[in-house]
Amino acid sequence: MMTLIKERVPTPERPVEERLKGFMEVNLGYTFELAVKEAERCLQCSPAPCTQGCPVHIDVPGFIRKLRENRDNPEKAVKEALEVIWACNTLPAITGRVCPQEDQCEAVCVMGKVGEPINIGKLERFVADYAREKGIDEKLLQEITPKIEKKKEKVAVIGAGPAGLTCAAELAKEGYQVTIFEALHKPGGVLVYGIPEFRLPKETIEKELEKLKKLGVEIKTDYVVGRTVTFDELLEEYDAVFIGTGAGTPKLLNIPGINLNGIYSANEFLTRVNLMKAYAFPEYETPIKVGKKVIVIGAGNTAMDAARTARRLGAEVTIAYRRGEEDVTARVEEVAHAKEEGVKFEFFLNPVEFIGDENGRVKAVKFMKMKPLEERDARGKRKIVPTGETVVLEADTVIIAIGKTTSKLLRMTLPQIEADEHGVIKVNENMMTNIPGVFAGGDAIRGEATVILAMGDGRKAAKGIKQYLEEKRKSS
Amino acid sequence: MYEILEKREIAANNVLYKIHAPHIARKVQPGQFVVVRAFENGERIPLTPVMWDAEEGWITLVTFIRGRTTLRMNMELQEGDKILNIAGPLGNPAPMKKFGKILAIGMITGIVEVYPIAKAWQEIGNEVITLHIVPEPMIILKEDLEKAVSKHIVESFPLKEGMGMPEIFKELVTRGQAKVRELIEKEKPDLVFMVGPARGQKAIFDVVKEYGIPMEVDLHPIMVDGTGMCGACRVTVGGEVKFACVDGPSFNAYEVNWEELIARSEFYADLEKEALEDYLTKLQQGGAQ
Ligand SMILES: Cc1cc2nc3c(=O)[nH]c(=O)nc-3n(C[C@H](O)[C@H](O)[C@H](O)COP(=O)(O)OP(=O)(O)OC[C@H]3O[C@@H](n4cnc5c(N)ncnc54)[C@H](O)[C@@H]3O)c2cc1C
Ligand SMILES: Cc1cc2nc3c(=O)[nH]c(=O)nc-3n(C[C@H](O)[C@H](O)[C@H](O)COP(=O)(O)OP(=O)(O)OC[C@H]3O[C@@H](n4cnc5c(N)ncnc54)[C@H](O)[C@@H]3O)c2cc1C
Ligand code: SF4
Ligand code: SF4
Ligand code: FES
Repeated sequence: MMTLIKERVPTPERPVEERLKGFMEVNLGYTFELAVKEAERCLQCSPAPCTQGCPVHIDVPGFIRKLRENRDNPEKAVKEALEVIWACNTLPAITGRVCPQEDQCEAVCVMGKVGEPINIGKLERFVADYAREKGIDEKLLQEITPKIEKKKEKVAVIGAGPAGLTCAAELAKEGYQVTIFEALHKPGGVLVYGIPEFRLPKETIEKELEKLKKLGVEIKTDYVVGRTVTFDELLEEYDAVFIGTGAGTPKLLNIPGINLNGIYSANEFLTRVNLMKAYAFPEYETPIKVGKKVIVIGAGNTAMDAARTARRLGAEVTIAYRRGEEDVTARVEEVAHAKEEGVKFEFFLNPVEFIGDENGRVKAVKFMKMKPLEERDARGKRKIVPTGETVVLEADTVIIAIGKTTSKLLRMTLPQIEADEHGVIKVNENMMTNIPGVFAGGDAIRGEATVILAMGDGRKAAKGIKQYLEEKRKSS
Repeated sequence: MYEILEKREIAANNVLYKIHAPHIARKVQPGQFVVVRAFENGERIPLTPVMWDAEEGWITLVTFIRGRTTLRMNMELQEGDKILNIAGPLGNPAPMKKFGKILAIGMITGIVEVYPIAKAWQEIGNEVITLHIVPEPMIILKEDLEKAVSKHIVESFPLKEGMGMPEIFKELVTRGQAKVRELIEKEKPDLVFMVGPARGQKAIFDVVKEYGIPMEVDLHPIMVDGTGMCGACRVTVGGEVKFACVDGPSFNAYEVNWEELIARSEFYADLEKEALEDYLTKLQQGGAQ
C-alpha cells in the first residue's frame, strides 16, 4: 500500500562547529535528486493556495511540476521551472533563501494540514542555483534580450535594493532606458549591507546584478540623490522616477547611555561586517569591536543576523526581547539556527538604561522585567506591562535591532512628497506618489517589510510606469 | 572611478589631491564633505573638498596623514591613478548668513574645512578673521586665506627634536587658547567657528564660553556611510541624539556633549594602531601592493 510522505526531504546543513569558524553559507540546498524527491510530495492543488500565499503569486505547483515531469533531463527540468518562476520573480536565488516562507507560500500549503508543508523556498532556491551553475539562466536571458524593443523614454531608479533592482529589470525588459542611482559603493541595499553571507552569499547578488547589466541597466554608485543630484534634476532629465530608498534610518532607544561606546545599531554592526568585511580586519581596513559578552536587543531577522554574526566573531551572545518567544518576528529557520549556534534568549526584558565604565564604554544593560497580559494588540501580539522589577546584565557590546524608519535624507531633500508622520511615502494603486511620474515601493512605502514585498512593489511600479509613459506618449 | 589629476605634499604631513569628479564639483557647497573609499579592502573615510571648479569638473582634498588609510593613500596613489569611490557632497552646507564679525579657527589640517566657509562668509559681506593654530612645518593655505578674508593670522611654533604628539598637542592648545583670548578681547567677534580635533575644539570652546560668544563647530565623529544609515556618527547635542552626517556636521558648541564625542572618536584607537602597524610591516617587507 502507498503511504503519504508527511516529512520533508531534508536539506543538508553545515555542521555548527564549522559554521562558527566563518561566514560560509549554512544551508547547502538540494541536489537535483533530492529536489525531485521533495517535488514528488506536492499534491498539485488547483486552485493552489501556495500561489495565493506568495506575495507575487508564483505558480508554485507549475514550477514544481516541471521538475518532476522532466526527472530524466535535469537541464530541461530546471529551464522550464525557471521560466515559470521568472514570470513573477526575477530573483529566486534570493527569495528562496530569505522569504519568510512559513508565513507566506508554505503557511497555506495543503500538505501542512497533515504533515510538513512542501519546502517551496528550498525548491525555488534549487532551481535558481542549478540554473546559474549550468548557465541555464544565461541562455534564457539571451533568448529574451534580442526581442526587447528599445524605447526612447528614460527612467531613473533611486536605490539599488530589491525594490529598485526589480523595477529596473522589469522596465529594461520593456525596452526603457534605466539608470539606477545608489548612495553606497555597492548595489544591493540590505542584501549587501545587512543580510550576512552565511544566509545569502554575496556572489548570489553579484550574479543577479550581472544579469541586470546585460539587460542594459546602468548603475551609478556613490550617487546620493538629494545631494549628488537633486530630485528636480532627475525629474527634468528622466521621464519617470522610481523611489526605492528603503527604510534606511536605524531606530535607537531613547534611554540613558545610548551613545556609550560599544553600542551599535544593527545597521552599523552589520554594515561594518558585511559590506566592509571587518571580520577580516586588518586585511580589510574597517575595524569592529566585539567584546566577550554581546547583548542584542530585538527579535526580528535583523537581531538574529546580528547575533549570529557576533557569535562568529567569537562572542557569547544573548538576545533580549521585551515580549515572549511566541512573538519573535524572525523567520523560524533563523531562530533555529541561532539556537543551534549557541545564541541565548532572554524574554520579557525591556532595556531601561545602559551603564558605562569610566572610559565611556558600555559595561551592562539594565532591564525592566515585563509580564504578558491575555489581551492582544492590533498585530495580534500579547500586550506586556512592566513588573517593577529590574535586572542588570553585563555586556561589553550591545547591538540595537529594534527596527528602522525611512531615510531622513530623503525627507529632508524631498519635502514635497506626500508621506505619513513617519516619513512612509504614500502611493496610489499604480504605486504613483502625489508627484506625477514619480513612483515608489519597498520599505520606503511600507516602513519595514520583506524582500519579496519590495520586489513585488518594484514589479507593480514598473507596470504603473509603463502605463504612465504610454499614456504620456499618446497625449503628446 | 575618480582620477587624480594632481598630487602634492603641500606641507609636512599634508597631502593635496586634485581629483576629477565633475558631478561633485557641480554640487558641493562650503560646509559639505565627501566619503572616500580609496581601496577595494579600504575603509570609507570622510574628507572635505577644499577648492573646486564646477566648469573644469575637479575638487581638491587635503589629507593629514594620521593612520593607515591616509598614509596608504599617500604611498599608493599617484597622479593618474584612480580613487575607487567618492560619495557626496554630504552633510548640510554652512548657513550663508550675515553674522557680522566672525572668528574662524582651524587647528592643524582643520583649516582646510574653514577655508571654503570663511571665504564664502566674507564674500557675502561678513568681516572674517581666520586663525590657523599649527606647528610651523604644517602651515597651509596661508596665501589663499590672506586673499580670501579680512585678516588671516597664523599662530605657529617650530617643531623641536623629539617632540611627540602629546607635546605638540599641548603646545597647540596653550598657544591656541591664549591667542583666541587675545583676539576675542581685541576684535570682539559676533561668532566663533572652529574645525579641528575634538579635544582641540573643546579646549578653545572653554575659552570662548567665558565670553559667552556664540560658537559653531564642525564635528568629526567616526563615520561609515555618511548618509544617515548607520548611526556611527551619533553625537548628543542639546540632550538629543543627532547624526552628524545628516543633521550636521555643524553644531552649536554650547550644546555638544564633548566628553562623549571625544570618547567616541577614540574608540578604535587600539585597532587603528594595529592596522597602521600591519601596514608598516607590509611596507618594510616590501609586500604592500
Ligand atoms: C539585517 C536584516 C535582515 C533582513 N532579513 C530579511 C529576511 O530574511 N527576509 C526578508 O524578506 N526580509 C528581510 N529583511 C528586510 C528586507 O531586507 C527589506 O524589506 C528589503 O531589503 C527592502 O528593500 P528595498 O529595496 O525597499 O530597500 P533597501 O534594501 O533598504 O535598499 C534601499 C537602497 O537605497 C539606497 N538609498 C537610500 N537613500 C538613497 C538616496 N538618497 N540616493 C541613492 N540611494 C539611496 C540605499 O543605500 C539602499 O541601497 C531584513 C532586513 C535587515 C536589515
Ligand atoms: C565631516 C568630516 C570631514 C573631515 N575632513 C577631513 C579633511 O578634509 N582632511 C583630513 O585630513 N581629515 C578629515 N577628516 C578626518 C578624517 O576622516 C580622518 O583623518 C581619517 O578617517 C583618518 O583615517 P586613517 O585611517 O588615516 O587614520 P586612523 O588611524 O584610522 O584614525 C585616526 C583618527 O581619525 C579618526 N577617524 C578614523 N576613521 C574615521 C572615520 N571612518 N570617520 C571619521 N573619522 C575617523 C578617528 O578619530 C581616529 O582616531 C574629516 C572627518 C569628518 C567626520
Ligand atoms: S517568492 Fe517567497 S513567498 Fe513566493 S513562492 Fe517563493 S519563497 Fe514562497
Ligand atoms: S499547496 Fe502545497 S501541495 Fe498544494 S500545490 Fe502548493 S505546494 Fe503543492
Ligand atoms: S555615518 Fe552612518 S549615519 Fe552618519
